[in-house]
Amino acid sequence: MLSKVKHIHALTNIRRERVLSSDGHVIVRRMQKVTPTDVIVVAPLMAKYLLLDIAQGLNVTPARADELLQRRAGDELSTGDVIAGPIGLFQRVIRAPFSGLVKIAGEGKVLYEITSQPFELQAGMEGTVTNIIPERGAIIETRGALIQGLWGNGNITYGVIQPVSNNLNQELSAEQINIGFRGAILAAGYCSNPEVLEIAANIPIKGLILGSISSDLIPAAQSISYPILVIDGFGSTPMNSAAEKILVANRDRNIALNAQVYDPFLGKYPEIIISQPNQPEPDLPIETETLSSGKRVIIVNGPQAPQIGTIDYIYPRKQLLSNGIETRTAEVSYGHEKRAAIPLSNVEILKE
Amino acid sequence: MDITTVSAKSLITLDIGNTITRALFFDVVSGKYRFVASASAPTTAGAPLFDVTEGAWRAIEELQHITSRTFFSEKEGLIIPSTKDNQGVDIMAATMSAGNPISVVTVGLLDNVSLLNAQYLAHTTYSKIMAEISLNDRRTSSDRINLLTEKRPDLIIITGGTNKGASKSLLNILESIGLSSYLIDESQRPHILYAGNEELQEEVKSGLEKISKLRIAPNIQPVLGKENIYPAQNELNEIYKDVRIKQTGGIREVLSWTDDNFTSTASALGRVIRFLSEKYEPEKGVMGIDIGSYATILAAASSGEETLRVFPGLGVGAGCTGVLEESSLEEITRWLPLKLAEQDVRDYIYTKSAYPASLPTESEHLEIEIALAKQALRIASKKTIPSLHKRSAASSSLMPPIEPIIGLGRILTQAPTRSQSLSILLDGIQPTGVTTLALDQNDLLPGLGAASDINPLLTVQVIESNTFLNLGTIIAPMGYARPGTPILRIRVNREDGRTFTREIKFGSLTVLPIELGEKVSLHLRPLHRFDVGMGGPGKSGKVNAVGGSLGIIIDARGRPLHFLQDQEKNWKRNETWIKTLLKYE
Repeated sequence: MLSKVKHIHALTNIRRERVLSSDGHVIVRRMQKVTPTDVIVVAPLMAKYLLLDIAQGLNVTPARADELLQRRAGDELSTGDVIAGPIGLFQRVIRAPFSGLVKIAGEGKVLYEITSQPFELQAGMEGTVTNIIPERGAIIETRGALIQGLWGNGNITYGVIQPVSNNLNQELSAEQINIGFRGAILAAGYCSNPEVLEIAANIPIKGLILGSISSDLIPAAQSISYPILVIDGFGSTPMNSAAEKILVANRDRNIALNAQVYDPFLGKYPEIIISQPNQPEPDLPIETETLSSGKRVIIVNGPQAPQIGTIDYIYPRKQLLSNGIETRTAEVSYGHEKRAAIPLSNVEILKE
Repeated sequence: MDITTVSAKSLITLDIGNTITRALFFDVVSGKYRFVASASAPTTAGAPLFDVTEGAWRAIEELQHITSRTFFSEKEGLIIPSTKDNQGVDIMAATMSAGNPISVVTVGLLDNVSLLNAQYLAHTTYSKIMAEISLNDRRTSSDRINLLTEKRPDLIIITGGTNKGASKSLLNILESIGLSSYLIDESQRPHILYAGNEELQEEVKSGLEKISKLRIAPNIQPVLGKENIYPAQNELNEIYKDVRIKQTGGIREVLSWTDDNFTSTASALGRVIRFLSEKYEPEKGVMGIDIGSYATILAAASSGEETLRVFPGLGVGAGCTGVLEESSLEEITRWLPLKLAEQDVRDYIYTKSAYPASLPTESEHLEIEIALAKQALRIASKKTIPSLHKRSAASSSLMPPIEPIIGLGRILTQAPTRSQSLSILLDGIQPTGVTTLALDQNDLLPGLGAASDINPLLTVQVIESNTFLNLGTIIAPMGYARPGTPILRIRVNREDGRTFTREIKFGSLTVLPIELGEKVSLHLRPLHRFDVGMGGPGKSGKVNAVGGSLGIIIDARGRPLHFLQDQEKNWKRNETWIKTLLKYE
């Protein structure tokens, strides 16, 4: 059975495409080194348009209005510029209420794009620009540690990682958050107390990485200003051991925390990248693989989640679960000499 | 009618769902078309492969393994048509529901007339309405342009104006649509479906054809009070196909396998339900219910009229947080037969939504999924009931009598017990009067819908071959009384002459132990003016019924089903009802 791959690598090659959905101006060049907060492409975020009815404004027919137009498509406008006129005893004119660019002019009307604040797309990771996608963005590559998450609140940051302890299997409590964490990215087991998120915001911390989060904290986590990334799921389960190991081993190092909103269909995962450009170059990780004996897997649902284990055996036929469901399962060894039959659909191949 | 070897056409249908791609194989067995086998593989429409063919290949490969028949060779790919030595398949068809819903902006003149029609049309496919534009919304032309350029919908549905009706107001809105389309990058321009005042069709064409992907359908509402939705629905299905071709890798290859026999799963379900309603008793109607991972679909047809509603984001996998968005947690947990901590239920729902293909391994988690299915179906039913009554000219918040009601989707067909499947349908739909609940055990209906155009005989013969499992005949009296009050007397006459009677009390769920397939005659005598669908409140009558796998079920719990304030009591009551059904498994 084809399985998704969960990426938790201590060292891998990482290649990410960072592009806008509409045209913009790419401001990085090939082979340029970037940090996560560097802007790579700038574009008008949401262009606003204004349709002016010149004919109505000047109280003339559309044909006459066209004769009175002083601007054509492609012309730039500054606030107060005359677009059409003058006409009549009082030399009536139509002026541009905002600066902008004329898109269409004719039939008594002018449509123009109002100059707006540009949107800046950040690199989101440390690395080297290996390719430019004209007018849209760039491909950035680096090598280092990669931890794929499951839930993100949409924010991005870059800073020093500070696990609250060496065992990320406990609930993050208010008492653990102190002024020493100011400006750091915290890593902890799980969180089920909304006050903890508030206290962390007041310190302020730069970001928060959790193994799991109580689902009723999601609205609060979505509205908090710093990035929050959840690696394994929802509830009160500790962080999986592979991610814990990497985060603890990289204490005090700079990490890129991209807590983008999870969209499995588009392949957008929140992720943590710890760039280690001086390490030897590994291969790019594969994205799908077939489940088979000997493969390392992470259990994603059920009481054993998020334990990491190894497939000992895949049953050739469907097995009956204790709740009566019949499905294909695998014997998975996990933890300290534990073993269980896990539905194939409840495991993902783990690439470490 | 038997089929000769020469005329026989074997068929594979592919259903590319959000989580699973299923391949169904149909062939001639003993002179009749039969469903032979099904196989599935994870859908690969999204990341990381972005190509539906990988999942389709794997499903067909599995089918090959199950049937020991060769469907493709390394050298030639899929073998179409089949060879003399019985390799390959003659025809293929495909349905699809995978992918994010298509984003739609609806445009109409008046909120309560044309916009409602546009919304209704949009809900016949996997769509999400991002915004609505009408004369009532007080937006300026600039506002409309900004709205459309910001939302960048996949589709704009324009309705409004009866034929020979208003035109100037609609033209003003059309100008904004034209200008916004011009401003959007050509590769991202929306499809436009115009189904408004037919007198404007030429102007619409000249204004929009060059700058958008325009389709024109006959007016949805040619005159006030009359609707003509099907031509627009067909155009919408074509647009769905175009959008999926553009957004999803591998669809062109699937189209080449299927010779363009490709439609949305919802449309195929609607088609086969219409087909069934013509085959059964048209005036009784047929309803098909598909509870999927991401979407729930209700399709009903009676007397040639079809109602199709698609609810993307309302499902038991990827769509289960949608159920939580549309209802409180309490509305979900009240369906449980046991006490579970609210936090655990919510956490499980979020986990399931993140891993939609995963399965519940604990009984408690299975109960959460069943509760989610009931609530998803309840939401979908409530939203569909007005459309169903519109067709029957009646008005009520209750489900009108429809028989049979057929359920499909993994939560129903793969449920460990038939009682679980039946209780999801019974609680979610809350049928009234006398009906039959059936299960499409192999989830064949969309495939048969896709086949119905290319090989209608196959659809007929497969349906006649006991495809559906009769779960039970349901008798659901309408009315309210104090719990424990006798509300119905039933006399059951068996074919061998034996009879027995039962007095049914309000608030109960009773099973009459009639064997699967056994025909009986029921005499129903409602008390206290309860309505059992015999022509009005208090009316008695005789009805012929057939035992289902759970016999005949008298659902005297009231319509709509009322819940108790005390959740503990709800859970206990649910447990009692489940136990009642389980006794007859």
